Amino acid sequence: MLNKDKQVDEGEAESSTSNLLPDWFYEIDNDVTDQQFDAESLELEKIPLIGDKEPLSVLEAEYKSGSPVWLEKIKFLEQKFNAIRRARGDGNCFYRCFMFSYFEHILETQDKAEVCRIKANVEDSRRILLGLGYADYTFEDLFELFLGQLECVLQGNASISHEELLVRSQYHRHSDSVVMFLRFVTAAEMRKRSEFFDPFVMGLTGSNVDQFCKSSVLPMAEESDHVHIIALSDALGVPIRVVYLDRSSSDNDGATVNHHDFVPGSGDSSASGWSSSSKVTEPFIVLLYRPGHYDILYPK
Amino acid sequence: MIDFSRVQKELQECIKDIEASGIKVTPKGDNLSRLVGTIPGPIGTPYEGGTFQLDITLPDAYPFQPPKVQFTTKVWHPNISSQSGAICLDILKDQWSPALTLKTALLSVQALLSAPEPNDPQDAVVAQQYHRDYQTFVNTARYWTEAFAKTSSLGVEEKVKKLVEMGFPEPIVRSTLEAVGGDENLALEKLCSS
Repeated sequence: MLNKDKQVDEGEAESSTSNLLPDWFYEIDNDVTDQQFDAESLELEKIPLIGDKEPLSVLEAEYKSGSPVWLEKIKFLEQKFNAIRRARGDGNCFYRCFMFSYFEHILETQDKAEVCRIKANVEDSRRILLGLGYADYTFEDLFELFLGQLECVLQGNASISHEELLVRSQYHRHSDSVVMFLRFVTAAEMRKRSEFFDPFVMGLTGSNVDQFCKSSVLPMAEESDHVHIIALSDALGVPIRVVYLDRSSSDNDGATVNHHDFVPGSGDSSASGWSSSSKVTEPFIVLLYRPGHYDILYPK
Repeated sequence: MIDFSRVQKELQECIKDIEASGIKVTPKGDNLSRLVGTIPGPIGTPYEGGTFQLDITLPDAYPFQPPKVQFTTKVWHPNISSQSGAICLDILKDQWSPALTLKTALLSVQALLSAPEPNDPQDAVVAQQYHRDYQTFVNTARYWTEAFAKTSSLGVEEKVKKLVEMGFPEPIVRSTLEAVGGDENLALEKLCSS
């Protein structure tokens, strides 16, 4: 019983560009034989943690024999978006998508003001965690890793390319570390504002925020719900748009696709159709939600 | 690759806190991936007075994967295998988080000793006894604590020897001792009255 859910180890790709990260990220386990390494690499290749950018037509192919509602919805999506980037469905997909999308945005826009802004929020989270009594060594390295990665995507001495960003995001240890960083940040926000989050959590699980963080936020592979997204978006001050591809159909004009914007600090998030009024704070992180899973979407 | 610098910090933290928690974690050899944990039996339980040892193995992906923890001291408890020492505890499986540490994991194991969950058993025989005959469960658990988790007090074998020397047959001595939780005087009383 103890070992029944032993997880499959993943191959770890070598990365060697920056020493902003702790040494053990780059240490290759010498006990792993070449053969093992190949097998694990193959496994990794099959379903990467974060995939390549693919045209939206791959979705159409995926649902070819599915219900017509889905196909119509995908047609609708094709008008708005031109590409999708998939994440592995291992319970961490929301965090991996968020992480990649965010770093990619900084890499492309070189928005130094945004980096300054988010660093302040990250500092706040760090202080909250210390105040809550988490042992510093459980999260300090993860925070350093995130901040180091942030420096890397800004052009400068240690800047990395888009390919390198993708390689790192596919490197298991690195990716898991950033996922865990985001889980810590989410939990810190929920516990800081427990009077706000308690009713949500009570409705979901019948427990309180403390218990919820222990059981549904901090363990790796625990999936994310609305409440996690609200907390992460608020904590880091980053708006997130989630586009829903599900069976629901709208009353009026048949197959349309709904989305939901999580706007930090708004206290509530706003659901809307595709009206032009929602363009005021257009989130740069756009995720596609299919029941139980998130991927990244690229608007036209 | 295990994050050894973190493991070092965890061990130091345990040492700092040993007076308060009684929880000890020490390396088995030079390699920090094999450790030995020690927890005191919680007061007010059949495990009180016992010192329980656990074998801890850290997987390569620690702390992203849970430590493998099992008792090496024999324990009579519904969520611990009486054969292998394997533990049924959520935080050692899918509820593990890198936010937890070896110390918090062992504190949870200690809490499990205080609060068994017989409806989610690891050892079906023990769980059945817990449900059907709670007093016998408590006595057996206490007897196992006396027999296996106490290093300083008089060993069970010596008690058996003493009572056998008084003229009671050995099988009856053993079953009586077990029934009263290893208490020599209670056993003698019971043997004399039967």
